[in-house]
Amino acid sequence: MARPVNPHAMTPSRPGRTRTAPPQAPSGWYTQPRMLKYLLFDATGIVYLLVGFVALRVVWALGSGDAAWAELLRQLQNPLYIAFHVLALVSVVFVAVRFFSLFPKSQPAHIGPAKPPPQPLILAGLYAAWIGVTLVVTAVLAGWVL
Amino acid sequence: MKHLLLKLEPVIWLLFGQGILIGTMLLTGWILVVGLGVPLGIVSPDALTFARAHDLASSLLGRLFLLALLVLPLWKGAHHVRSLSIDYGGLGRDTAVATVMYLIAAVGSLLAIIAVVRL
Repeated sequence: MARPVNPHAMTPSRPGRTRTAPPQAPSGWYTQPRMLKYLLFDATGIVYLLVGFVALRVVWALGSGDAAWAELLRQLQNPLYIAFHVLALVSVVFVAVRFFSLFPKSQPAHIGPAKPPPQPLILAGLYAAWIGVTLVVTAVLAGWVL
Repeated sequence: MKHLLLKLEPVIWLLFGQGILIGTMLLTGWILVVGLGVPLGIVSPDALTFARAHDLASSLLGRLFLLALLVLPLWKGAHHVRSLSIDYGGLGRDTAVATVMYLIAAVGSLLAIIAVVRL
């Protein structure tokens, strides 16, 4: 009978014959470079949440009329907003670089008879898409086109 | 609640994954212009006059762009904050943290839909 996936489903029903100590993280584990990068990647979640809500505020002001929009643009000049958006830009670039480096490695060996493209090609495609989308979004929003 | 979270996991992972991929791609240009370019005077303020911004945003493509830009990063953020909580606090409080974070993302997504529709 089908059941929801249980992350502990593979836990042995009885302890093994060899006694083992319960797993423990070494002290200072979060300062090890590999873990630090992993934790920073997770921590960008806080920035993404905030960026999402700031963007929501921007769009909400746009829907509220001319005066609300002008006030919002004035508030975005506040140094706190500027500093936050610098942090957001660093986070977005960090997420992109790390995620793009992991994405090709996480592809299945084959899907049915089809094989995924070589890893360097996937990586190049991701960077091309990112740069392309960024250029288009920047050019449209900045009024260089349209 | 744990059972519900496990059932919703495919949907949450879809939104989370797209938050990383599509959210990141859309956010870069948005931050460069709206967050930094115009406020710092690098980009002309004429680019974001009310009339121009409203025209761009209220088109079909503009609304789809904004919906993805507002919703997807919230789910990426919510799931990664949950993950961060597990890293530092273990699984003991995971159900409570996950519920709160996904509720925040869900409410934010609902507000985003309203914000885009009322343009």
